[in-house]
Amino acid sequence: MITFEGAAKLYPDGTVAVDALDLTVETGQTTVFVGPSGSGKTTSLRMINRMVEPTGGAVLIDGQDVRLRDPAALRRSIGYVIQQAGLFPHRTVRDNIATVPLLLGWGRARARARAAELMELVGLEPSQARRYPHQLSGGQQQRVGVARALAADPPILLMDEPFSAVDPVVRASLQDELLRLQEELHKTVVFVTHDIDEAVRLGDRIAVFRPGGRLAQYDSPERLLAAPRDAFVESFVGYDRGVRRLSFFPARELSLREDVVFGDDTAAGAAAASMRGEPWALVVTGDHVPLGWAGAGQLARVPADTALGSLDLAPYGHTFAVDTDSLRAALDAAVLSPAGRAVGVDAAGRVVGVVSQEDLGTALWSVTE
Amino acid sequence: MDILIELFAWFADPARWTGGGGVPARMGEHVYYSLLGLLLSAVVAVPLGLFTGHTGRGGFLTTSLANFARALPTIGVLFLIVLAAGIGLVPVLCALVALAVPPILVNTHEGVRGVEPRLRDAAFGMGMRGHQVLLRLELPVAVPLILIGMRTAAVQVVATATIAAYVGVGGLGRYIVDGQARQDLTMMLGGSVLVVLLAVLTTLLFAGLRRLLVAPGLRTGAVAGR
Repeated sequence: MITFEGAAKLYPDGTVAVDALDLTVETGQTTVFVGPSGSGKTTSLRMINRMVEPTGGAVLIDGQDVRLRDPAALRRSIGYVIQQAGLFPHRTVRDNIATVPLLLGWGRARARARAAELMELVGLEPSQARRYPHQLSGGQQQRVGVARALAADPPILLMDEPFSAVDPVVRASLQDELLRLQEELHKTVVFVTHDIDEAVRLGDRIAVFRPGGRLAQYDSPERLLAAPRDAFVESFVGYDRGVRRLSFFPARELSLREDVVFGDDTAAGAAAASMRGEPWALVVTGDHVPLGWAGAGQLARVPADTALGSLDLAPYGHTFAVDTDSLRAALDAAVLSPAGRAVGVDAAGRVVGVVSQEDLGTALWSVTE
Repeated sequence: MDILIELFAWFADPARWTGGGGVPARMGEHVYYSLLGLLLSAVVAVPLGLFTGHTGRGGFLTTSLANFARALPTIGVLFLIVLAAGIGLVPVLCALVALAVPPILVNTHEGVRGVEPRLRDAAFGMGMRGHQVLLRLELPVAVPLILIGMRTAAVQVVATATIAAYVGVGGLGRYIVDGQARQDLTMMLGGSVLVVLLAVLTTLLFAGLRRLLVAPGLRTGAVAGR
């Protein structure tokens, strides 16, 4: 547990970087510090490993003031990941990762063996061990940065805007990787970003900082989106917070319709008869793999004995996984579908049922109220 | 063309290659003074540059001093020290050191200063102490620039070590000084050719040192930290 007790940083020129911060970071969770530039989030993070010394108050790790620890020893016990990784250009990937173990006096062989383990953990090929940082892509460099921070197995990991310099696709995969690692490792992670989406995605708890180094709100991501405390937080989390909040509700709570799902060998007439006024029928294979949508008008125009599989079907768009996706994914699938309906599938990609925008609207109303 | 033939004859003379006044002996003296001057300069300038670069203190002072020293006429320094300390090797070395320290000092200082702040931040943030940041990050990253400073210094020292002849301790400068005294143009030219040859060899030596001492991650024009 990391505790800020009235921690403050006032620079001699009168600039207030952090103004009396009171906050507790829970052990084993990911806590995100988010805010615009000049809000003191990075300064607060750097107080934890004494890269910045507070001018007032204190920062405690498990009840002990960090100022009682030798700075170098303290920092070796805390993982530190910075923007653009900050890898040493003159050292190989393997030796970069082994930095802290070597500082701790492990033997070279043991440190290198540990580096190899970490490369596997963060998804780097063993063949990259002897490469130099400039030979890697930005995303790979950042993976090395994370591996380097984890090398001595520190209980705390500080990450200062680690993914801000890579492109959005790579950033998303690095975020996924971090979530996966965290599920496995349960480190106490403090993560600084200016990107609220990244904060919502990664954080168990989010601290929103406002300019002048003051804490605006400290809450779970769900609460932050549901009930921003004031106008600053509301504008910072963005006006689509309602839709983004749907990420926290599982799609499995939706009631899916199966009566408008037909096999591809069903006759058009039979399908039309059992649709009871529904405008769209979903056609699937015998294995329940979706094929596409047939409109009610289309069914009325073709001979009644035509098999549904032989019709010219409208594309079904993308599906959502009933057991693992959120309401947001279901809504997205419905909005993008030409039929205005989302197709729910199981883990094997087989159709479970469909849900219309109207049904979704009702469900959203009931869960978010 | 006559001068070239005479020069060839000068080099071809067997007497030229033996004894205390022969090319091998003079070359040996010259290389010895140059090496000694360069090593003394490096011993002074590299640690000082590392210190000012690492701490950020005294940077302005050292750079100013270095620029002042660059403006000193080497031959003036030589005779000044001869007046103070008498004839011998000491004034020669003092003059060479005054010449070689500035480029080494400035490049070492700038090499260390030029290490990207975020690399330094990462190094301290991982728990390196000051001397570890200097020896494990700043020095290796600064090596290419330090070597360039040493190369500049070395070429200047090799060219300037000819002044040793003025104070009677030999070196390739003897051919130039003696040649001038005897109005022997061929001899002066022979000495000059040998000095130029030595300067070229020095440059080649530093190309080799670069391959040997610069970490592969810093070669091929790689920008530090990318």
